[in-house]
Amino acid sequence: MDASLLIAQFMSGLSRGMMLFLLASGLSLIFGVMNILNFAHASLWLVGAYLCYSFWYLLQDYAFGMWVSIALAALALAVIGWIVEVILIRRVYERDLPEQLLLTYAMVLIIGDLIKVVWGVEDKLIARPPLVEGPVFVFGMPFDSYFIFVILVGFGVAIGLWWFLQKTRYGHIVRAAVYSREMVSALGIPIPRIYTGVFVLGLFIAGLAGAVQAPVGSITLGMDMAIIIQAFCVVVIGGFGSLLGTLVGSIIVGEVYAFSILFWPQGALVLIFIVTAVVLIIRPWGLFGTPMRA
Amino acid sequence: MKKYGWLGLIFVSALLLPLLVGEFWIHVAVEILILGLFAVSFNMIFGYMGQLSFGHAAYYGVGAYATGLLMVKTSVPLPICLAASMIFAGLCALILGYFCVRLTGIYFAILTLAFGQLTYYIIFQWYSFTGGDDGLQGIIPPDLLFSANAYYYFTLIIVTGALFVMWLISKSPFGYTMQAIRENEERTRFIGINVRRYMLINFVIAGMFAGLAGGLWGPFNRSIAPDLCNWQQSGIPVFMTVIGGPLSFLGPMVGSVIYTFLMAFVTGFTEYWPLTIGLVIIFVVLYVPGGVLGLIAERVKVFRSKALEPAPDEYSDTGRS
Amino acid sequence: MNTRIRGGLDMEGNVILRVQNLCKTFGGVKATNNVNFEMMRGELSAAIIGPNGAGKSTFFNLLTGYHAVDSGEVFFLGKNITNWPPHKITRLGIARAFQVSNIYPKLTTYENVRQAILTQQKRTLIFFTPANRLAKEETLELLEISGLSRYANTVAGILSQGDKKRLELAIALGSKPELLFLDEPTAGMSGEETYETMELVKRLNQEMGLTILFTEHDMSVVFGYARRLIVLHQGTVIAEGIPEEVRANEEVQRVYLGEEA
Repeated sequence: MDASLLIAQFMSGLSRGMMLFLLASGLSLIFGVMNILNFAHASLWLVGAYLCYSFWYLLQDYAFGMWVSIALAALALAVIGWIVEVILIRRVYERDLPEQLLLTYAMVLIIGDLIKVVWGVEDKLIARPPLVEGPVFVFGMPFDSYFIFVILVGFGVAIGLWWFLQKTRYGHIVRAAVYSREMVSALGIPIPRIYTGVFVLGLFIAGLAGAVQAPVGSITLGMDMAIIIQAFCVVVIGGFGSLLGTLVGSIIVGEVYAFSILFWPQGALVLIFIVTAVVLIIRPWGLFGTPMRA
Repeated sequence: MKKYGWLGLIFVSALLLPLLVGEFWIHVAVEILILGLFAVSFNMIFGYMGQLSFGHAAYYGVGAYATGLLMVKTSVPLPICLAASMIFAGLCALILGYFCVRLTGIYFAILTLAFGQLTYYIIFQWYSFTGGDDGLQGIIPPDLLFSANAYYYFTLIIVTGALFVMWLISKSPFGYTMQAIRENEERTRFIGINVRRYMLINFVIAGMFAGLAGGLWGPFNRSIAPDLCNWQQSGIPVFMTVIGGPLSFLGPMVGSVIYTFLMAFVTGFTEYWPLTIGLVIIFVVLYVPGGVLGLIAERVKVFRSKALEPAPDEYSDTGRS
Repeated sequence: MNTRIRGGLDMEGNVILRVQNLCKTFGGVKATNNVNFEMMRGELSAAIIGPNGAGKSTFFNLLTGYHAVDSGEVFFLGKNITNWPPHKITRLGIARAFQVSNIYPKLTTYENVRQAILTQQKRTLIFFTPANRLAKEETLELLEISGLSRYANTVAGILSQGDKKRLELAIALGSKPELLFLDEPTAGMSGEETYETMELVKRLNQEMGLTILFTEHDMSVVFGYARRLIVLHQGTVIAEGIPEEVRANEEVQRVYLGEEA
């Protein structure tokens, strides 16, 4: 096994991890702040991918069609997120866990079918824009430049979120809300608006993730089911509500996947589950999470 | 005693069913019974113990494969296969449950989900043994049970028997201990119960009955696939239980009737069954949280508590503490 | 001193509970700071713990295995039970009534009490006999003693606060303890209820030989019923002994009695 193969796998894993990070960060944020595990997060992500396809389809004759589509998809999903939060999610904040989970689980089913209704069942393919079509050479080795793009977007979002949470007033409020809703509410800041804001933000990122995913291979039905479990694994391993944890968790899962392809291709997901199960058993709040949320 | 009157009536109707309806509906009835058993076994963990398992299909699938493989590869008689299904499913539940009961709440839900998917992938990948993605075909019931009606009666007897056993357990000291664990885990520790151990025992029993249901499914459907283990399958008993009502023993069975009928009906004219059931679930969660039977019980309880002696100084929430 | 050991427990010894050098810190605050004390069998004692609101329950939590101790040991009837899990400690003979009623809201009062009794009788692994047939007499008797008979079939969640505390006590008694910890047994009760409850506590102690340790806010209850007191302030024992002695203790006066209305 030579070094170039290892590096190739490493980069592939990193790219995959970044993709997962984009998806899982919203999930983790929403759970950390609102204590709602959004099963439908990946389904909405998929909607983001399909929306990106539709926008691209309309704009494909324009020079920056692809990039605009990505932005539009992310914004569209933010709007969808706002609607979903107001109509549905809001109603289960005070409910018990099973009811919350059931609601988001039901959403998975509904969104899955709605996608079928709107976009049909055939796979969708987006042609990659020329900017990221060819390979990029790092250390003399060719890498899919789109991979690099994904990694950059991932890190960009990570830094953006970090800056938002650490450096802005709104971000501080969000972090405070994770620790004590009552306190934040007592300070006169309306909790419901924070929740809405967080949910919208989480979905904006999911939309971005979906749109960024869109040109990779094709967009198919059922992608959401495949990836939501991996996203859960990421959040479990990294820790709910922790940005750093989600990043680390994503990279771990991405790399486990990439490297197990080498020696046990069918076992990739099995390995990820085992790691997840081990973390859940030894340290349920994840590597970087806080033990409060039991 | 009025309650038992209703049950007797239902059972007699069930016995007479083949005389009243055609083969298609007999098939639906078998499906209702099998999935209902699956759902009731799930409710041992959810309604009685208070934890949401999103991976209960793992034991259903293991049971299905145990019976399926035995019937296809050996000539072991069906009843023994079913017993084997229960044992293997129980073992699986013992191993996985050992880890799951160390957690509660959302972590329990996620771990059961992960284990469910793990089981699915193992069965999926183990092509040489299980046939993997191709599934297992040619699971034929013995001649005696070959006709739809015969298999129906067979299923009816086994499911009724299984439900009776689970019902006895629910009314036993063990069953009440499970409810105590659900109501107040901490208190239960402080009266001397090793909560984890009891949760594991309950988990295993629930798994065994799920395995029995899975075992019945194979010969009914004539084939099985790894899908029987995945989280969509795990969702079915959850839906049934929520619709029927988790706080009464037969709630999940009522849910099974509603769910299966609804599915048979809806899939008759549209492919968008997931959309339908998704909407139904959201409706139930938001407006009828106790399910159908819960709604009925609520009416009865309000009536009963108004007839009590001293008026309580404060009407505190019955259950959310 | 003659000691007879049964199942590892010193059954005839007089010291039922011994706490040695108990230390526990929570986030920088010393909940217990080298606490030492002993309880004799048959005592009816009160622990006054302050400052008010500073981890009163922590004390019982440490003794009953709910929190792990930082250092120190707890002995029950000669057996070292430090850091044992709660269920093992209960099985050994210690029961606890919680400050905030810790009952089973959806079960009836009868079922609440019966659960404790069946557990104590080690009959919870019975699967095929209806629970309704078991432990009827014992449950009804305990309900009678606790004054809850008329609520037997009431769902516990809708009982009044005072009755919930009674139920709390009944559940603890269901475990047939030799040593009973009562965490503010009369909190939220009216004057009459307080009297009834404490008379019951006194009866349990005198007629049934239960050793009881309770904590309380209400000083009239403390001085009206406890025959021994132990006073903790900021995690340290500042006084111990019979009520008159403790009352006369200067430090106690300074810290507590001056504050009491």
